[in-house]
Amino acid sequence: MSTPDIAKIYGIGAEFKSVVELYEAAEKVRDRGFQFWDVYSPFPIHGMDQAQGLKRSWVSALSLIGGFTGFTTGLLLETITSVFVYPMIVNGKPFFSLPAFFPVMFELTILFTAFATVFGMLAINMLPKWYNPVFNWDRFSKVTDDSFFIVIETLDPRFDGPNTAAFLNSLGGTNITYISK
Amino acid sequence: MSHSTPTLPKPEYVAGTGFLRMVLLGIGAIAMLISIIAAFFMTGKQVAHSYLFAYFYFFTIVGGAFFWTVLHHAVDADWSVVVRRQLENIISSWIVLVILFVPLVFLYPYLWKWLLPETLAADPMLQAKQPYLSWWFAGLRTILIFGLVGLYAYLLRKHSVDQDKTGHPAYTIKMRYLSIPGIPIIALAITFAAFDWVMAMDYHWYSTMFGVCIFAGAVQQSLGTLIITCFILKQLGYLKEVNSEHFHIMGKFLLAFTIFWAYVHFSQYMLIWYANIPEETNWFVKRNEGMWTYLAILLTAGHFILPFIFLLPQWVKKNPLTLSLIAGWLLCMHAVDHYWLILPNYHKDLSPNILDFTFFIGIGSLVFSQIIHSIGSSPTIPVRDPRIFESLKIKN
Repeated sequence: MSTPDIAKIYGIGAEFKSVVELYEAAEKVRDRGFQFWDVYSPFPIHGMDQAQGLKRSWVSALSLIGGFTGFTTGLLLETITSVFVYPMIVNGKPFFSLPAFFPVMFELTILFTAFATVFGMLAINMLPKWYNPVFNWDRFSKVTDDSFFIVIETLDPRFDGPNTAAFLNSLGGTNITYISK
Repeated sequence: MSHSTPTLPKPEYVAGTGFLRMVLLGIGAIAMLISIIAAFFMTGKQVAHSYLFAYFYFFTIVGGAFFWTVLHHAVDADWSVVVRRQLENIISSWIVLVILFVPLVFLYPYLWKWLLPETLAADPMLQAKQPYLSWWFAGLRTILIFGLVGLYAYLLRKHSVDQDKTGHPAYTIKMRYLSIPGIPIIALAITFAAFDWVMAMDYHWYSTMFGVCIFAGAVQQSLGTLIITCFILKQLGYLKEVNSEHFHIMGKFLLAFTIFWAYVHFSQYMLIWYANIPEETNWFVKRNEGMWTYLAILLTAGHFILPFIFLLPQWVKKNPLTLSLIAGWLLCMHAVDHYWLILPNYHKDLSPNILDFTFFIGIGSLVFSQIIHSIGSSPTIPVRDPRIFESLKIKN
């Protein structure tokens, strides 16, 4: 396997045969101190975030902010309309009646939390992404079928062409390939 | 995840339960004796309501534990295998609850007036409900509640303990077959217990949400009891298999059922508040007079808002200590909840009575003496369950 021009490649990919192999390989890649790399599998794997050494996601913080925003929006929306802008007696209840407001506050909390979570997750993952070089690798289409992959990018400070390839080989990776940009 | 061949965990037995059981039996006997002596100086209504409050508190906890057990088997869960034995220990105290129901049968004129022929003769509204609120049908329901759940509790624990010896997977299949009808059985058992013993005290009032309100509390609090049981056993050096991942799952369920409890209670309240029909609002009016209204506010804050916010961060749910603290707090709130449900039927305003405490301690000690006995009589985890390895290594 000849080393191509490093400026023209995106990274090195290795294929693994099982979840267990992928999991253990990920732990070793993590322990080597790589930063710009990822694992790819046909399905989510529990505990993979620890094996990859990923930090806690910011999504939950965004959800919380979304939830507070929704709650406040609901409260203000109803208070402003039914107490100040257009006060109207309904069913003999006071203008400001929390029990009646609560369903709307609840729904808006849920709605805003869901929006913040989904769109926040997309933003954190930098999605949608129109082009990803990993698809230049023909074997990579098996990621939706029965294969597991690790790709280490050239951006990584520890990336070192043939040595990285040998490292992935030592972890049990097969079909080690330079992926072009 | 590793390639090493898994070895079966060794069965571990909790020591010293015999002594603790005797202590609890002693406390229970003394508390019940004090209650009986004190009862001679109290009104019959006070005795009956205090007893029902204490009884129903522990009834819901044990019933909820039954729900978790059948749910575990029915959905073939793997995370809960290591904590399942503690649930089976809790439901093994069902027999104590059956025996402790006997005093309520004798106290019925103070609690369930609809059983009296003179009430029936004078009340056309009750006559309309006669097909449901009749002594024989209510009695049949009570027998079914105790009989069916008792049979299930016995069979599920027996199969599970038998499996520890042989390790045969057929027991798992058997328990799964048993558990699928077990889910509606426990749901209906708690619902009808709530309808017949608590809601029917005020037999003019009705709420279709009432059963599910009690059910939500029962499921939530039995989970809290499970969390605390696991925590104590861990502190004593047992149950090392239960790690922060299991506590995290239990914490998430506790948060979910805290929300569910608030959701169903709020739904019940809002519909009645909004419709504003006197025969329905009457129940809430009673519970918002005098000090009762502060108890209602305490419930909103302490049974929902505080645990909800407290349980949101992940580390709280992963740390057994913080999770047990909030579970303990919720168990206190559960007592407030049931006090607020049952006692306003008798007292116009909050007036705590010594019987509320002595019956509570007495019934609680008797129930827990049986649970302690079960904890000591079988291994702390179902050691030879086919799913034990998945449960030990669970990640979420």
